[in-house]
Amino acid sequence: MNTFMRWAGFIVVLFIAAPLVIVVPMSFSNASSLQFPPPGYWLGYYRAYFTSMDWLIPTWNSILIATATTILTMALVVPATFALVRHKFRGKGFADLMMLMPMAVPHIVMAVGYYSYFGDLGLVHSHLGVILAHTCLSVPIAFLVLSANLKGFDRNLERAAQSLGASPAKTFLHVTLPILRPGLVISSLFAFIQSFDETVVAIFISGRDAETLPRKMFDSIRQEADPVIAVISTLLFFVVLLGIAAPYFASALRSRAPKPSRPAGAH
Amino acid sequence: MGISLSKLTEKTNIWPWLLLAPLGIYMLIFFAVPLAEVAIMSFTEPKVSLANYQKVVTGALYQRVFLNTFVTAAFVTLCCLLVGYPLAYLMAHSKPRTAMLILLLVTMSFWTSFLVRTYSWMVLLGNNGPLIAFLQMIGVDKPPQLLFTRFSSTLAMVHILAPYMIMNIYSVMKKIDPALIRSAESLGAKGWSLFRHVYLPLTAPGIANGSVLVFVICLGFYVTPVLLGSPREQMVAGLIGHQIEEFLAFGLGSAMAMILLVVTLIILTIYHRRFGLDKLWG
Repeated sequence: MNTFMRWAGFIVVLFIAAPLVIVVPMSFSNASSLQFPPPGYWLGYYRAYFTSMDWLIPTWNSILIATATTILTMALVVPATFALVRHKFRGKGFADLMMLMPMAVPHIVMAVGYYSYFGDLGLVHSHLGVILAHTCLSVPIAFLVLSANLKGFDRNLERAAQSLGASPAKTFLHVTLPILRPGLVISSLFAFIQSFDETVVAIFISGRDAETLPRKMFDSIRQEADPVIAVISTLLFFVVLLGIAAPYFASALRSRAPKPSRPAGAH
Repeated sequence: MGISLSKLTEKTNIWPWLLLAPLGIYMLIFFAVPLAEVAIMSFTEPKVSLANYQKVVTGALYQRVFLNTFVTAAFVTLCCLLVGYPLAYLMAHSKPRTAMLILLLVTMSFWTSFLVRTYSWMVLLGNNGPLIAFLQMIGVDKPPQLLFTRFSSTLAMVHILAPYMIMNIYSVMKKIDPALIRSAESLGAKGWSLFRHVYLPLTAPGIANGSVLVFVICLGFYVTPVLLGSPREQMVAGLIGHQIEEFLAFGLGSAMAMILLVVTLIILTIYHRRFGLDKLWG
């Protein structure tokens, strides 16, 4: 049983890995259609990506929309998470559940709703419309990460600060916020990625004027499968690899490097 | 933002409401209202009636698409389980370094955009792709059409959703006490019998978690079936999009969206009662 599971596991590793790495050689291919292995290699499609406004504008739109979504999401979620984690009140269970609802509703359902609702409000084909919609969809993941962090927070640290004479505002700024920083960073990152990757709602409401990168990729795959997609896929692949591997390498470096001895005079 | 942390909580009850209000109002305007609009449109477009639902429930096309969606979602869930279980096992019972590398790979896959992975399968299964070349090499004269079939969209969905299954099962396997397995062995259980009667039941919560998640996501899947699947074997999400984009049939599209939503929420409610919804993603 053990041997069988291990062999099956190794085959699955190939199944998971193959589609992730195949885009890398494809991006250097000089074929004009999907051909693997590529007949030859060149950098032409990288040049095409970095010089074509058809691709750079959607990339820029996505970055802009994801950044604004992250800021708006955090501005709304941070206070709400404090309310839900630190206070008991009637209807709290219901409110907890409501925070997760956007994750439970299929995106195609929301896409239909936004398409019609934002149509009435004149918000389709606008950056603002996509930002407002993406913020709703980013709330659950930001809340899950942040509330997990806040639940593990030792409140004695705040009590200690207050007993030493810090005002509530000071305590929040100098004790609560710094301790929560990793949680805030990770939940912002998740909100950003959620917006940057979101495809279905963007397909329906972003239009030509606020076209996001996933929408452009979707259209391109559907119509002509422009080889530039392999370039973007490769770039995204390395961004993700960097994002995931960086903490591993950082911790590996830290554990290998000799422990810095405390400089004399530091306490 | 001066949150009077401990003092105010017991005395006044206005703080949580003040902190919740901005998000609550926002979600009301930009989440609840558009969702309600879908519900309303399903009954009122083009005129007030139950005609949209009647059409969806009795129309042969719609029946077939809904049936196809459920069968596909169930099949994808089963495949994710068959693929995910051995991999989670390998991860849970390997040396730390191997386990970490596989975990890195699964995490990579999880964080790589749906679209990128969908595109990769287009390359792999395309007529000039490696799989067809391999089939020709081993002597298949006329290799079958792989792309734009039920096969290609199912394969890609299994690949895309497998990480959800793997993570859920792995987190349960990691926590299994090796002493339990050893004591079962000392009582004479081995091989498949040990697996069936001891190991598998211990991993059941992870299987349940992963399966619900994969099934529910798959029910509403839009991108991959539209790009890789056969146009004749659409799934619900694709058909909804088609009705809205091509025919501006908001009523019909909304009625299908409502049915999809209700089914999804029923499954998640059952799950919530038993395990708690917040456990699903974490």
